[in-house]
Amino acid sequence: MRSMVDDARIPKPGFWSNWSSWEEADAQNMLGHDPLFVFPKDKLVEEGSNVTICYVSRIHQDNISCYLEGVQIYGEQLDRSVSAFELKNVSFIREKGTNVFCKVDQGGVLGGIVLFVSKVLEEPKDFSCETQDLKTLTCTWDPGSDTGLTKQPSQSYTLFESFSGKKTLCKHRNWCDWQVAQDSQETFNFTLLAENYLRKRSVSILFNLTQRVHPMTPYNLLPKNVGATKATMTWKVHSIGNNSTLLCQLELLAEGKVIQQSNVSIKVNGEYLLSELEPDTEYVARVRCAYTNHFWKWSELISQKFNTAEAAPSEAPDVWRNLKLVSGHPTVSLFWKPLSKVHANGKILFYNVIVENLDKPSRFEVLSIPAPASSTELTLDQCSYQIHVTAHNSVGPSPASVIVVSGDPGNEEVEKGRVNGTEDGFSVSWKPQSGDATGYVVEWCDGPQDLPCVLQWKNLGPNTTSTVIRSGAFRPGVRYNFRIYGISTRRMAHLLEKKAGYLEELAPSDNPQVVMSKLTSRSFTLSWKDYSTESQPGFIQGYHVYLKPKAGEQCHPAFEKTVLPEDSVCCKYTIDNPEQKTFVVENLQPESVYEFIVTPYTSVGEGPLDAFTKVTTLDEYSHTLIHIILPMIFCILIVMIICYLKSQWLKEKCYPDSPNPYKSSVLSLIKSKENPHLTIMYVNDCVPDAIEVINKPEGSKIQFLGTRKSPTETEFTKPAYLYLLPTEKNYSGPGPCICFENFTYNQAASDFASCGHFPVTPQAPRHQLGPLTSPENLLKALEQNYMNSLGEIPAGEANLNYVSQLASPTSGDKDSLPTNPPEPALCSEYKMQTAIPLGLASAPPSENSSLSSTTLLGQGEHCR
Amino acid sequence: MLACLCTVLWHLPAVPALNRTGDPGPGPSIQKTYDLTRYLEHQLRSLAGTYLNYLGPPFNEPDFNPPRLGAETLPRATVDLEVWRSLNDRLRLTQNYEAYSHLLCYLRGLNRQAATAELRRSLAHFCTSLQGLLGSIAGVMAALGYPLPQPLPGTEPTWTPGPAHSDFLQKMDDFWLLKELQTWLWRSAKDFNRLKKKMQPPAAAVTLHLEAHGF
Repeated sequence: MRSMVDDARIPKPGFWSNWSSWEEADAQNMLGHDPLFVFPKDKLVEEGSNVTICYVSRIHQDNISCYLEGVQIYGEQLDRSVSAFELKNVSFIREKGTNVFCKVDQGGVLGGIVLFVSKVLEEPKDFSCETQDLKTLTCTWDPGSDTGLTKQPSQSYTLFESFSGKKTLCKHRNWCDWQVAQDSQETFNFTLLAENYLRKRSVSILFNLTQRVHPMTPYNLLPKNVGATKATMTWKVHSIGNNSTLLCQLELLAEGKVIQQSNVSIKVNGEYLLSELEPDTEYVARVRCAYTNHFWKWSELISQKFNTAEAAPSEAPDVWRNLKLVSGHPTVSLFWKPLSKVHANGKILFYNVIVENLDKPSRFEVLSIPAPASSTELTLDQCSYQIHVTAHNSVGPSPASVIVVSGDPGNEEVEKGRVNGTEDGFSVSWKPQSGDATGYVVEWCDGPQDLPCVLQWKNLGPNTTSTVIRSGAFRPGVRYNFRIYGISTRRMAHLLEKKAGYLEELAPSDNPQVVMSKLTSRSFTLSWKDYSTESQPGFIQGYHVYLKPKAGEQCHPAFEKTVLPEDSVCCKYTIDNPEQKTFVVENLQPESVYEFIVTPYTSVGEGPLDAFTKVTTLDEYSHTLIHIILPMIFCILIVMIICYLKSQWLKEKCYPDSPNPYKSSVLSLIKSKENPHLTIMYVNDCVPDAIEVINKPEGSKIQFLGTRKSPTETEFTKPAYLYLLPTEKNYSGPGPCICFENFTYNQAASDFASCGHFPVTPQAPRHQLGPLTSPENLLKALEQNYMNSLGEIPAGEANLNYVSQLASPTSGDKDSLPTNPPEPALCSEYKMQTAIPLGLASAPPSENSSLSSTTLLGQGEHCR
Repeated sequence: MLACLCTVLWHLPAVPALNRTGDPGPGPSIQKTYDLTRYLEHQLRSLAGTYLNYLGPPFNEPDFNPPRLGAETLPRATVDLEVWRSLNDRLRLTQNYEAYSHLLCYLRGLNRQAATAELRRSLAHFCTSLQGLLGSIAGVMAALGYPLPQPLPGTEPTWTPGPAHSDFLQKMDDFWLLKELQTWLWRSAKDFNRLKKKMQPPAAAVTLHLEAHGF
């Protein structure tokens, strides 16, 4: 053991004493009866120290493990019951100490210690002392880390003043008050001593009291006599000693920025007049003070807000106009921009618009438009008007803004040009107006063309010929139109130029609606006349016509071969005139399918190539065929008309109503054969010798008609034979029912229900009834029938059933109805007859035979 | 028979077990005490975790089970099951009261030496709750007519960090204090649950009373 004096009052360096003599101790005997001891008990060390831990066991077992914070540590076994562990560079873990314990494995024996590792005590930093009133010194410092543990309290601080020899134990970690004695001590030499159980640290300062004056914060800072441009600020300070002077700094802030700064020397009360203030503006005044004799520190700031009073607006509103015709009347829309805060000098309450007729100076009109309106509309006549616009706040009006308008909109046909857009905006330039321009105005609409125009304008001086138009509303791909006006000395605006431009041109997003016309076998015409080049996202420079040729076909020389994005080959034709909105695609193959698309292009690119339209060229000969077919149709129509007009003649010629053998062409045929055995039987020469009268009951007849049963199925009375001459009376008037029937006809034939008379040909073979459609067949049939009737048929059979019908009062033409037709159902029933062998006639007609009879009737009607 | 039934009904208002309009008895306060022990169990779980971490390893290790070296003065919660069953209500409540009186005293000592403000706040909150439990047990005992146990002179629990008591052993004591507290709260929950059930008169008891009074 050795020792050394360590006291702040004793100058360093100290000296160590000599080592004491060794003392021996019997650890085993000194310990109690516990089986396991761990040393050192509750040791306090600084961070970075090396600590040796050892245990002494009475158990003499090898299965003792030691742990540092739960992690096993390995040491050196000194003998059977003692082991030592060296911990190097220990660090602070917690205030409650670092746990080291040893235990006998599975023995339930445990011993341990807590090693308290303290942080190293730091030297106080930034130690300084100051006074606010020359009576109390306040010393402050940065204490650094807290070295407090449960085994060791936090470090303490002691303030020692060497001149007075006084010291005080500080109650706080980082500051301490020191009372200045009444004996007017001016110089102080302070030593701050920090100490804990392990270490002491000190720091000293030497200063003059008056050089460490930090005044207290001023108070009662108030505005006084606040006007539109002036205000007086007053404040107070705490006095320091007797007749001490303070330097105060007054700052004026507007919108967070210092705009004025003034220094004022005061004793207790401060006052300062702030001038050059803006009307109706919020300001912040703040004051801080310092000791004048020796500047040490500014006091804390005190702030105060105040508002200046309103003043009349200082600037005329920026006014612009837009002339248009509404219902034939010139109408001027007046626009004005709200005055900036700097110029409004208060809240604008309303705008006065005075309209003065220049042609009739005595007449003027005053309109008062409440704020925040920024436009109005006036309907004028053809006179010139001078319009004064003033903005009013609670104090008064602004200077007037004067503009002259005329009912005549003036020359609208001016030079048109383009303007380039950049990231900054549109750089617009114009030719200076020769003469008396007092300024220029550039006018534009902020929104796209299809939106309502938000009129914007920019006033420019008379010597300006270019400007950059900036707006946050400008968007790429939107056409903006700028109109440049010159303002004359009469304050009248004249349109000078028109400019159009894009902030950034884009490729067209849509293709025109193309109409295809004049399609031939080798060409077709494309047209897109409705396409507006004005409302596109860029200046349209022309159009590309893409044509997909049929496989293997080459592009026409006028076309350029190109590959589409989907790798298909296409022919492209470029139209470099944006106003050319038609195109004829020629030199095509007939009857071929082509696909085309028309897309506009700008400087950036072309429209989408997504929707090709298919077209198929015509057949080459269809054109010729039309030329042939049309005349043929015309000729046929002529023939049909002629036939219709000559139908009576034809009828008489080909199929007269009453077959007259003398008129019939058959006669000529017969004559041509010059058969002496053939002759014509004249009905007039025939004397009917018998009339077959069938007394047919009414009921059976009705039943027959109604059910359409075969005549053979109907029972009828036996026919009666009357010798009767045919007279007209037999057919007129209602009388007893007389029916001339030939049962070889079916009901369909009898549906005529009129007692017509048909020539009765001799027996016609059943197989000859159908094919009589052609004239040849008809002639053959007739010839054969007559031949059969005159030559082959026995006379008895022929005569027996023949009934002359020439005395019929009606004609066979159903279109020419008799004026007094017999009552068909009530009076008599006539069945068409033909000369059919009896045997055949008596046979019941089948369904087919009935159909054949109908066909025959048709043929008979048209071809006799 | 009808006359008997009428007689029984006539005497019903006089049956004490059915007359529930008066003093509710110790039942609600037992229930509240039971609820408080469960709440403190939950609260201690959080507090013990924080405090054992504050002590550091090995005390915050889940399987740490040190010998009870310096914690002999702490009231033991563990008891033989048969012994526990044989305890009467008064003894049961007295043991609870005495145990929590001691534990609360030790716990306050723990609070005084805690270094961090947050830990001190948590310990103070728990002490307040434990004080409430103590009052609640006293209320139950009073409701049942049992006197509160008077501490014998010289046996009052004190917390003194003796110089011979090493910091490691002190940490062991803290560990055992929290452990015993946890065990006591668990045991109290069982105690009060048992007492609660015992204090609830079963429906059969009404019948017995009827029989006793009526017949």
